[in-house]
Amino acid sequence: MEDRRRAALEVYESQEVPTWRRSGFWTTTLRGLDIDSLEPKRYEAGLPHLELGDDSHSALIVQRGANVVHTDVDDDQIVVMPLEQAMEDHRELVEEHFGKRLPIDEGKFAAGTAAFWTGGVFVHVPDNVVVEKPIQIVWVIDEPGTAQWAHTLVVVGEHAEVRIREFVLGGDFEGQALHAGAFELYAHPGAQVDLAHYQDWGRGDVYDLSTRRVEIRRDARVKWVPIHLGGRLTKQTLDIITAEPGSDMRHTGMYFTERDEHLDLFTTDKHEAGHTTGDTVWKGALTGESRASYEGLIHIVPKAPEVDTYLQTHQMLLSPKAKGDAIPSLIVEVDNVKASHGGTVGELDPEQIFYMMTRGISRAEAVRVLVEGYFEEVVQRLDDPGLEELVRRRISEKLAGAEDQVREFIGERAEAT
Amino acid sequence: MTLEVQNLHVRTEEREILHGVDLVVKKGETHALMGPNGSGKSTLANTLMGNPNYEVTEGRILLNGEDLTEADPDERARAGLFMAFQYPATIPGVSVANFLRMAVNAGRDEPIKVKEFGAMLKGHMDLLKIDRNFTSRYLNEGFSGGEKKRAEILQLAMLQPEFAVLDETDSGLDIDALRIVSEGVNAMRGDERGFLIITHYTRILNYVKPDFVHILINGKIVREGGSELADELEDRGYEFVREEVGTSGA
Repeated sequence: MEDRRRAALEVYESQEVPTWRRSGFWTTTLRGLDIDSLEPKRYEAGLPHLELGDDSHSALIVQRGANVVHTDVDDDQIVVMPLEQAMEDHRELVEEHFGKRLPIDEGKFAAGTAAFWTGGVFVHVPDNVVVEKPIQIVWVIDEPGTAQWAHTLVVVGEHAEVRIREFVLGGDFEGQALHAGAFELYAHPGAQVDLAHYQDWGRGDVYDLSTRRVEIRRDARVKWVPIHLGGRLTKQTLDIITAEPGSDMRHTGMYFTERDEHLDLFTTDKHEAGHTTGDTVWKGALTGESRASYEGLIHIVPKAPEVDTYLQTHQMLLSPKAKGDAIPSLIVEVDNVKASHGGTVGELDPEQIFYMMTRGISRAEAVRVLVEGYFEEVVQRLDDPGLEELVRRRISEKLAGAEDQVREFIGERAEAT
Repeated sequence: MTLEVQNLHVRTEEREILHGVDLVVKKGETHALMGPNGSGKSTLANTLMGNPNYEVTEGRILLNGEDLTEADPDERARAGLFMAFQYPATIPGVSVANFLRMAVNAGRDEPIKVKEFGAMLKGHMDLLKIDRNFTSRYLNEGFSGGEKKRAEILQLAMLQPEFAVLDETDSGLDIDALRIVSEGVNAMRGDERGFLIITHYTRILNYVKPDFVHILINGKIVREGGSELADELEDRGYEFVREEVGTSGA
């Protein structure tokens, strides 16, 4: 373990702060981030005020800043504890999985996380265990100047069934913070995992540079719903890997950016084995002067025939000053697979708004209903009423905040047609 | 109580489509507005509802004396005007039931009680022979042509407007669906309501007998009369009107 930290530190120190460029207008730069002003902050134990949409859980673990401040496990069949502690208590299990899908040489911040992580979260659902209530993992940054190097390791045993929610939450503080996170989940043969991520960094200037990877083994199934409700700058890589025959992924995500937020998402559905299936849908909306880029790749490696998968991505502009991109792509290195993809970037349809208004519904209400309806497909995939309500409420709040610019934009569009 | 159109001139970005239309629909009356393709029928319907794609360059639209020419579509709806669309928009993620509740509540100060809404909805759905699970589907998403038209008439029935414009509601309906939709409309006719039925064909008028018929050609009303005018049109087609008023080839 210490060797890994040392090697990662070397990578971290040898690399410049990166800038990501792609053809066209897109650049993600960390120029604004004053990384030397940030530091890991430690806190006393105690449960901060959290909004998780649902109070019931089989386990709740909360890391604030650099250390875990709260752990509560109501189900003695499962293990949920700080990763630091699991290194001692569950050494074999951790060594077998830790970093297996997260090499240290994938860039400066991935290396930084490998070198500097503290606290951390470890979840183990043993073979054949079925957990009814969700396991909730929470990362909180509520003070400016915080550097949070995060690592979550989840191991779901054979034929186990579990729902896991990971939240990354921030406060409305003034100033900068960094969340550099690593998340890895291993679904062993026959496991059934219902995974959700919920990102809402609030109005603080939180830079979120994270990598999340899910490995699905033989006949296991993972449903993954990442929800992005904002952060100053987000650069995330989300990969879901069907690693053995019979594995299945359902990957449905959303983002809603506002003000001057910048979001850069790259997802890969990687099929490493034949006879695997996938289904990816991502939807986004942009207001203010925000920037959002979603790039989704289906990658089918050689020797993986009989794969059946597709990817769809949609993006909706709600402000004339917002700019976005939604790019689906495909790398298929084998014959005899079914893979398709599609993408749209669009605006609210004035005909839909007119239609609703002829029923007496105001323009603002029509916009709200249309945007909520657009996201509904994703929200319903959460299959968790409490969390769904939280997401719906946040979408509606964001729309209310952007009402004037949306109206102006819609008005302009209507005039122009 | 009237819906009144005075000397209405309407244009799109490309050209003027209505060149001075006058029309008065009183409560309790059913009017048919007939015309061939491209005569401006849908333009009139959309303009009555305030579709931003159409610009009124001259003339006025009055509802019970109130000038609605510049009003937003939602104000017109709340003032008592309704249109059943020829091609209604799809509203993904919003079920028929939720949409109807929203629309009903938009016209009320207090939201409708759940029970009252349910009873009202059930009554109208039975009348229109609409299947129960219809209301949980997203509005118009994957609907057949006939289902879309029924959903429009269901909205009409739920909203009980003072004046209803039916824009080519009969097109694309088979004879059974046409009969059901017509019965739904007939059930709503009465002293409290005026109808403007816009159609290319005389078919629907066999079921919903109009009190007055207006024929629109090239953006102007060229003939007006009672329901016998529709019969004449049925026999002789639009050519005879064109010849009479000398607009053929125009």
